[in-house]
Amino acid sequence: MKRVEVKLNLEAVAPLLDVIKAAADELRPALAANPDIPGQDAEFAGVWQRELLEGQNDDLQVLLGLFGSDFFALGHIALERGNSEAVLRACSAVRLQLRARHLAVLGDEALESGEVPFEQMTGEQQRAFGAYVFLATLQELVVQHLDPTAQD
Amino acid sequence: MAATKTRQTPHPAAASETQLADVWRVVVLNDPVNLMSYVVMVFKKVLGFDEQRARRHMLEVHEQGRSMVWNGGREQAEAYVFTLQQWHLSAVLESDEAC
Repeated sequence: MKRVEVKLNLEAVAPLLDVIKAAADELRPALAANPDIPGQDAEFAGVWQRELLEGQNDDLQVLLGLFGSDFFALGHIALERGNSEAVLRACSAVRLQLRARHLAVLGDEALESGEVPFEQMTGEQQRAFGAYVFLATLQELVVQHLDPTAQD
Repeated sequence: MAATKTRQTPHPAAASETQLADVWRVVVLNDPVNLMSYVVMVFKKVLGFDEQRARRHMLEVHEQGRSMVWNGGREQAEAYVFTLQQWHLSAVLESDEAC
């Protein structure tokens, strides 16, 4: 199975983990994006929402699980086909949450281009933006090297 | 290979025969967060698009705000909407009548 080990700068990434964990905690009872659920049936909508939430929580556990003892000892995280889809989805969920919670004020154009007024941002916004960019980089890495749609 | 996330899509409690006979559209709406490369990958993964078709739909979402990515029977359309939402895309189900 294809596996990619990534060496991260522990000093740079460790502070971002607190932000990511906080966002993941916020997402435990709530979906990152409010889904448009087809139909009018409340029971059906409840099942739909619950299934999405369970999947989201499973994915977030996989993402947080990347940053275990190996990461704190060596700065390594291991990505492979087996966890790549969950990592991709979890990164997306956390990025949506970070935008909603901390970064919406910056405007979508600035967020998309990355041209944000970093010096004028609060410390909390700076850390949230750092985590937002880090997770995008992680997603790019997974799509590039472990594309779940590619054949081995 | 593990972790292909395919939870059971909830089935509609009571879809009438009329609904099942209608044509339904799966539409993906633009969002400011998900990366272009991610959206392309999701379209390939979930809808079975090739790279070119996936990119075309991604650009349509990005530039026009929405793209109809599939149409057909309601049950399959719901399954696609659910799976796209698992990937955190803004997917909605529309009936042909609504268009």
